Amino acid sequence: MHKVERIAIAGVPNCGKTTLFNSLTGARNKVGNWPGVTVEKIEGTFPLQGSRIELVDLPGTYNLSPDSEDQKIAERVIRSGKYDLIINVVDATNLTRNLYLTMDLKDRTNQIIVLLNMLDVAESEGLVIDIEKLSEELQLPVIPVVAVDKKSVANAVKLIEKSIESLPEHETHVAREDVVGTVERFQHIDSINDLVVKEKKDRRENFTNRVDSVVMNRFAGIPIFLGAMFVTFWFAIGLGSVFIDFFDIIGGLLFVDIPTALIGLVNGPEWVIALVTGVGAGGQTVATFVPVVFFMFLALAILEDLGYMARVGVVADRFMRKIGLPGSAFIPMVVGFGCTVPAIMAARTLTNKRDRFMTIFMAPFMSCGARLPVYALFCAALFGAYSGLAVFLIYLSGLFMAILTGYFLKNTLFKGTASNFIMDLPLYHTPRIGAVIKSGMWRTSNFIKRAGVIVVAAVFVLSILNSLGMDDGEITFGNEDSQTSFLAYAGKAIGPVFIPIGISEDNWPASVALFTGLFAKEAIVGTINSLYATMDPQAGLDAVEEEDGGLDIGGTVVEALTTVKDGLIGVVSSFDLLGIGLITEDSATISEEIGSGASVYRQIATHFTVFSAFAYLLFVLMYFPCLAVVGAARQEMGGFYAGVMALYSTALAWSVATLFYQVAEGHSLFYIAISFVVLLAIYGTLYVIGKKERATQTVVFPPPVRRDCC
Amino acid sequence: MSKKINLTEAVKGMSYRIAGFINQESDYSEKLSKMGFVAGTPIELAPVKIFDPLVFQIRGSRIALRRKEAKEILVEGV
Repeated sequence: MHKVERIAIAGVPNCGKTTLFNSLTGARNKVGNWPGVTVEKIEGTFPLQGSRIELVDLPGTYNLSPDSEDQKIAERVIRSGKYDLIINVVDATNLTRNLYLTMDLKDRTNQIIVLLNMLDVAESEGLVIDIEKLSEELQLPVIPVVAVDKKSVANAVKLIEKSIESLPEHETHVAREDVVGTVERFQHIDSINDLVVKEKKDRRENFTNRVDSVVMNRFAGIPIFLGAMFVTFWFAIGLGSVFIDFFDIIGGLLFVDIPTALIGLVNGPEWVIALVTGVGAGGQTVATFVPVVFFMFLALAILEDLGYMARVGVVADRFMRKIGLPGSAFIPMVVGFGCTVPAIMAARTLTNKRDRFMTIFMAPFMSCGARLPVYALFCAALFGAYSGLAVFLIYLSGLFMAILTGYFLKNTLFKGTASNFIMDLPLYHTPRIGAVIKSGMWRTSNFIKRAGVIVVAAVFVLSILNSLGMDDGEITFGNEDSQTSFLAYAGKAIGPVFIPIGISEDNWPASVALFTGLFAKEAIVGTINSLYATMDPQAGLDAVEEEDGGLDIGGTVVEALTTVKDGLIGVVSSFDLLGIGLITEDSATISEEIGSGASVYRQIATHFTVFSAFAYLLFVLMYFPCLAVVGAARQEMGGFYAGVMALYSTALAWSVATLFYQVAEGHSLFYIAISFVVLLAIYGTLYVIGKKERATQTVVFPPPVRRDCC
Repeated sequence: MSKKINLTEAVKGMSYRIAGFINQESDYSEKLSKMGFVAGTPIELAPVKIFDPLVFQIRGSRIALRRKEAKEILVEGV
């Protein structure tokens, strides 16, 4: 009996490969990285021939020549001979474009089964395909399947089992380079296509053409795109935010309150409580991201499945080409207005590594929803009637910085040639609900697994520093957000660094807040609130009473559910996705919504001027993207580039904020000069790193280095 | 054999065949050939009213290319 243990799935992008993979493996996915690169290889198992078979989903690729990251990976896997069988998924609606890969695969191995997918769509488009004839011409088994249909997949598995028996002895060939030229190969494919495919009637392209004439129109294209984005935001941020409080409260209950209470029950020591609270707070932070991330992925999957995303790329290409990026790179940046984490994940759709990395570097400058509460707080305290303008200017600065970053990187870190723009525009079709939800869930669970680890770890360390403190020469716990915690000491120690951006040394809470902002930028508001409140002489009078009850699981769950209900009502009744309403409301309402008291405003007004506040906000906008973002960036680019990104954004933030403050108010020529020096230093450093990386790259890729041991 | 023109000079509603690339060796032409842009392949402008990028119909799919880059591709009328 022909025994198969490992199977790889290959196919061109968008042929339904991943859908098939998910149908075959159910939820049994695990994600791994190929050594040296960060494009994912996805593994799972499924039952075949009475045992569990290892299955790997290769990146979508049109051929096996090593000119892109994805293709290199696919080629390497097949060349390794580690897989007993290649399942080649072929899109029946476009045989000629799919069969090139099939021919490439045939050059490498003789263990191939072709799964002909989307036959249903092909039929609805008037195509009739002679499957037997196709099998005969290819000299490979061909099995029809509808990847979204479970029954059809189950049936296909049975047919695969049968076909395996008839496969010839396993042979892996060394790639015969260009024995058959591209032209000859396509002639061969065309002849197969003519024999196998009968077109019954004209394919229905009229509808797509008519829609495209409108959505990609030179004038209407951008407004339509903005409208589509508005709906996407409304869906993702609006609907996602409804569940943020729910996840926050439930996460807090599960990860913080219950463990703390349990330790309390057995009279555990205080340092254990601090430790558990630290880890729990990390889990809670991740939990709050889950709903927005999920809805954003869901919205993107819908737009993708509909076929609209490809058109956005076309519309955006007209200006993205100026910074050496293809139009498709614009999509992740737009997502960044909502939340940077899904933006970074969305960059994955770019095929070229250089484009992907550049986009990831640019995305954090698009001001995300978490930064808005910080702007709102300062607006309420200082900017008054000019609040709207101030926030608009901040958003605009972010966009400008993203573009500037594009220019910087284009000339330094990611020099390479500007990529061409080749965009495949699929026919529009109704999104398949099941597939879309699955894709959203799958990408979200990946986010939780990967970004989760780094966030929990970092939040843990910072919470410990926030809790540990020095009191009368003794190290104690429970110093959260007070002047005696180590975090506060650190804030005071680093204070001088921020003097050039207009933060005086006695304004140490502002520096400490930047530390807690590392967790998540909205944490800045919380820290400023609690630290300024302790500084204000009148604080006791109007400080908000902290509720400090015991553990009440039932009550907490009810409270969590109430936030969902209230939130849903809010979403339905308003289209306020970017929280603009938060800015325009009067300060009393604002203070209620972001939980600041009047004493905090007094402190902000004492410690900041209009200009230093704006410089501070510029810094908050640009510096170190929150830990979740760095976690996601590490997942996508590796630790080195994630580190470069974090340092780059912080250095840029400092010099831009300094430049602004010194020009507007400080008038210190020395600091202005320094900020220019820093800008130049950033440029130079990126240039040097880029040169080094390019020099080593050729060495890294060809021999796949595996470090399995130790 | 009719005159070779570059792809941006193609007229809507007319049918063409790919004749080659101005620079056969470039990455761009290699990438396109492997997607099926090979000599003899029928190609036409899609009836979509946009100026840049241009949308072409080839091998049953629709591909958008930048105007500037499409100049690399040579076609001849049928």
